[in-house]
Amino acid sequence: MKKRYIIIINIMIVGLILFIIVKYANDRASESNHVSVASFEKMTTTTEQIIANYLEDEQHLCDIWSNYINRSAEAGIPMTIDDAISYIRKAKISPEISGHLIYIDDGSMAGISTSASTTDESDYSIDYSNIPIFENLEISNVNGVVNLTRAYTNPLNGVQSIAFLNNVKVRDEKTEAMREGLLIRVVPVSRLEQKLVFLKGEYENVEISIIDWDGDYMIHGKSLKNSNFFEYFKSYNPMSAQDYNKVVETIRTGIGSMHIRNSQNADSVIAYTPLSGLESWYLVAYIPTKELTVNRSIDWMLLGIVSAGLLVLLLCNLLIILSFNRKLQVAAEAANQANEAKSHFLSTMSHDIRTPMNAIIGMNEMILRSSLEEKTLVYAESIRTAGNTLLGIINDILDFSKIEAGKMEIMEVDYNFVSLLNDLVNMVQNRAEEKGLSFELDVDRNIPRILHGDEIRIKQVITNILSNAVKYTKEGGVIFAITANKCEDDADQVILHVSVRDTGIGIRKEDLDKLFVAFERIEEKKNRNIEGTGLGMAIAQSFLNMMGSKIRVESEYGKGSEFSFDLKQKVADWEPLGDFESAFKHFLSERKRYRVQFVAQGAKILVVDDTEVNLKVFVSLLSETRMQIDTADSGDAGIARFKRKHYDVIFLDHMMPDKDGIETLKEMRECKDSPNQKTPVICLTANAISGMREMYINAGFDDYLTKPIDTGRLESMLMRYLPQDLIEKTDIDDKELGSPDTEIADKAADSRHSILLIDNDVDHLRRAKDWLSDDYKVVVVKSGEQARSYLEKHETELIVLDKDNEINSEFEGGRVLRNNFKELGRDELISQVNDFFGN
Amino acid sequence: MTKGIKKAISTVLMLSLVAACTGCGQSSEETGEFSPKYSSDTEYKLSVAGTYSNFESLESAIERFYAYYPNGEIEYTYLDDYRNTIVHALAGQEAPDIYVVQPWMFKDPQFTSLFESAEVLSDPDLKIDLSQIRSGVRWEMENGDVLALPIFASSIGMLVNEDIFAKEKLEVPADYESLVKCCDKLKAAGYESPVMGANTNTSPGIGYAFAYPVFAKAVKDDRTVEEGLNALDPSAGEVMRDSLVRVKEFVDSSCIDVDKCTAEIEDDYNAVIMRFFEGDVPMMLCSGDVVSGTRKRESKSEAFIEKPFKYSFYVAPSGDKGGYYMDSVSILFSVNKNSSSLDMTNEFIRFLTSKGELGLMAEEKGLITPTKDYSIDEVYASLSDFPGDRTISFNDIELLDTAVKEFRAAAYAVVNGEMTVDEAVSAYGSLFGE
Repeated sequence: MKKRYIIIINIMIVGLILFIIVKYANDRASESNHVSVASFEKMTTTTEQIIANYLEDEQHLCDIWSNYINRSAEAGIPMTIDDAISYIRKAKISPEISGHLIYIDDGSMAGISTSASTTDESDYSIDYSNIPIFENLEISNVNGVVNLTRAYTNPLNGVQSIAFLNNVKVRDEKTEAMREGLLIRVVPVSRLEQKLVFLKGEYENVEISIIDWDGDYMIHGKSLKNSNFFEYFKSYNPMSAQDYNKVVETIRTGIGSMHIRNSQNADSVIAYTPLSGLESWYLVAYIPTKELTVNRSIDWMLLGIVSAGLLVLLLCNLLIILSFNRKLQVAAEAANQANEAKSHFLSTMSHDIRTPMNAIIGMNEMILRSSLEEKTLVYAESIRTAGNTLLGIINDILDFSKIEAGKMEIMEVDYNFVSLLNDLVNMVQNRAEEKGLSFELDVDRNIPRILHGDEIRIKQVITNILSNAVKYTKEGGVIFAITANKCEDDADQVILHVSVRDTGIGIRKEDLDKLFVAFERIEEKKNRNIEGTGLGMAIAQSFLNMMGSKIRVESEYGKGSEFSFDLKQKVADWEPLGDFESAFKHFLSERKRYRVQFVAQGAKILVVDDTEVNLKVFVSLLSETRMQIDTADSGDAGIARFKRKHYDVIFLDHMMPDKDGIETLKEMRECKDSPNQKTPVICLTANAISGMREMYINAGFDDYLTKPIDTGRLESMLMRYLPQDLIEKTDIDDKELGSPDTEIADKAADSRHSILLIDNDVDHLRRAKDWLSDDYKVVVVKSGEQARSYLEKHETELIVLDKDNEINSEFEGGRVLRNNFKELGRDELISQVNDFFGN
Repeated sequence: MTKGIKKAISTVLMLSLVAACTGCGQSSEETGEFSPKYSSDTEYKLSVAGTYSNFESLESAIERFYAYYPNGEIEYTYLDDYRNTIVHALAGQEAPDIYVVQPWMFKDPQFTSLFESAEVLSDPDLKIDLSQIRSGVRWEMENGDVLALPIFASSIGMLVNEDIFAKEKLEVPADYESLVKCCDKLKAAGYESPVMGANTNTSPGIGYAFAYPVFAKAVKDDRTVEEGLNALDPSAGEVMRDSLVRVKEFVDSSCIDVDKCTAEIEDDYNAVIMRFFEGDVPMMLCSGDVVSGTRKRESKSEAFIEKPFKYSFYVAPSGDKGGYYMDSVSILFSVNKNSSSLDMTNEFIRFLTSKGELGLMAEEKGLITPTKDYSIDEVYASLSDFPGDRTISFNDIELLDTAVKEFRAAAYAVVNGEMTVDEAVSAYGSLFGE
């Protein structure tokens, strides 16, 4: 992961943590605010109780006065207005409070007071006619729990006051008639305000207001402007008439709180509650919101500390990650170096083993070709077997190296399944026979003949399984079975079921997991005498995985095992392969020795190799081709010959002292006056690890050939790169092909069956003739015209045609064998021809 | 630090120095800005007693004062039955520190204590700047003392729908002749009654608002008639003739449909404003008090909300050479010299006389500022630089309320055809009672 991603993720985590902290702090603050507002509401209701109690007390005192006056009237000794005021003057304790008694029965609203006017000490008269405080009261019959007026101006002293009322009956001194009077207990508003001083301790800026039904204040603090609370509210909290009415209704009907904007557009809280005992009076407590809400500076400080801590943590993390990254980088470099060392080791090992193996196998091949002594041939055959085993081990290691490097690829081509089986059985049957084991074949006759897939890797997988079966079986035998079923999902495919069953040592259940682990060998001590690297099954499993399959194992320890797998293959030709076993038996009986593929007397080739014995092997292997072969034992010697003489093909060893193959090639390519400007140069290499092909092609070689040299591959490669006119000097050439009168037969014998091969592919004709000439009289022609010309003069027992050849129709009949024999291998072709003649 | 940053900082410091030096050269007194005399943490509690049940413009001024002296409280109290209770309040234990006075109280013995208790605001020691008050509304006693600070001025005249005049491409008329011509054009344009007003015998009523300035000018020009007028001497009624003749001409002209006014305007305040906001009245006769109620009622008039228009206050063009500007005082503040917080009370008054404060209060109240600067409220912009010879200030004439009421009754009678001019003139002294 890139460093910046780590930083971004860390910053996001820090951001998330900070977000959570802020949200938590906000939630807590919000919760705290709710609690504060609830406390404020509670304080409001407590205040309301205090005020209500106070008002009730004042009303009660007013009632005592009126009761006394009225009881006198009821007792038949009614007081005059002066008597009543005189009584009250005596009864009242506080000088701030006064009592007014006015007549209401004549509408004069005039009377006398307990206190004198502030402007005239002798004037006790009082007149309420211009003070509209009774508009909403039924003053002729005040009977509430508390009968209270709004705040008004006391007409005698100009002090804002509230008044508690009660009805009294007094005697008119002049007329002796009973009059309806209104007793007014006048209390300065400031006295009520003093009752609220206690609130200042708890809430510094709380302001208590008492409003009436219309919102007019009885008392109010400095923040609540206007003479009417609802007008004030409307002025600074614009809203629709509907919303405004809802707010008014809420305040009039319940206990609660709400946020409002004050005259400075600051958020404030009001708590409201009706005054109990009074109709249409409400207590409204106001406070700026900031006094109620939690001071969050501490939260921000905490947030700052956490942020700083997280940033430090982030920095520490980055430093640690950077430190780890450095270590990882060092480790990665070491691993790369180790990998390079491994590649170098594999390359060296491959090269160093293959180089002498080239000599051993090459020279042994010469012995097998030339010796007529039976014992020598047996020894030589043993050498070839051992050599091939050793090469197999090296190839396994190289394959595993490729798989590990991820460079192994599946190369799918059309292949002949019969040929594949031939090679497999041919390889294993010998070994089984040598160990005295039976080898049974059970091949489904209906398996299509031509399939599409990676023939080489499939062969390798089955070879590994079969080899193991033979290796780990001491007695009994091996049964190799293959069946094919049509694939239900895809009509063009078949599913091959391959099974190898043996009577070998078997595998314990607990060891089954080790089976496909590289370099792991089950029961190492017990099997130490059995050759193997422990890579075979791991490689086989890897190949099958790449082809969408896997090996299944069923085993009983001590009794044997069965390895099987299913493999989906595309079908190129649905023709069934038929009875493979009998064909194979015949093939075995007719297995032939080596025959050279071509002769090219005029061809000149150059081989450059620092190892003298390899030069000898190379020359020997190609001796029967009769080519002119020059050798050079170093790069410089090779360059010298390259400059002097024209060659048709040059083979150049890679790993040479002083100047290796690549350097030599480079120098050759730079040489402008050489006659070999266009001569193909093929690399000879004992180095066969992954990626070599690309390396050689990129270095400028036309092709490469691995050591130990396989004669067949070498000859095939030469046939491809040599000019065709030089091959003309061999037994089969165009001239001969163009003259069917000249019958060509190897080791002519009149008793042999005669075969006419017709095809326009000269290479193919040449190969097929070579394969069949040992046992048959073979004549080859390139066209139908040539064939007819030949057949006019000669008889032939069998005509072999490619089934796709246009000339087929002219030669229909029992003598004709049609096949796509271009696809067939040597053994298969021989087998089919033998079948035709009943051999 | 780079050279560029150093240079920038040096430049800023230099500019600051220059600005500071410039500031030093001009004191706040010269600029009229308020400069607190006392420490900002001074604690105080003041009370203002007044006649308005609602005094929002004062509350706004108090809020601005709190910015300088936050540790105090100024409470405005509306006194019930002010004319009877203020005297008791001043003598009581909770006497207000500031109280409202009005010119008519001055010679009334009932209110003597109000002026006896008043602080002399013109005392140089108080450093209250009265120079910005217009001379017409600056109320000086005979000895030159100023006992009350005018807070609002008022007048009578007419509200003009500026949009109509702009639409009809007409100038607002300045004299009676142009008024009649203008009304003819407006009537031709479809305005049934180019001038409207409340058909009452109160201050905002048609006759009073239109003709009283003509009458007041006549009294100003010949103050010998004052005594007879105040004594309700019928012979003094002759001085009303010219103004009543003008009223008669006015109601007989195409300018006004009195019946329409009677039918559509039910009272002399709210109905006047709401009818004007209907948007089809080019000129509406009214008093300054009516103008002060317009702003609050804009939002209550659906017609005005739907189609707002620009309006202004003009002097009624009732004179041949132009209208007459009645520059009268609405309310004044006096300081209780017995206040327990006299220093802070005077400080508050000094604050009110600082630059712009009175103008702001008047603008918020919707009344005319008592200062020389009319620019704060564009509704009254027409009064700026009004010719002095056609301005009648409240102390240019000394008519008692009874005399004024007689004129209102005479004008109302003429407007409604209840009396001829001759009858009204001869009935002077007994008109209001009737």
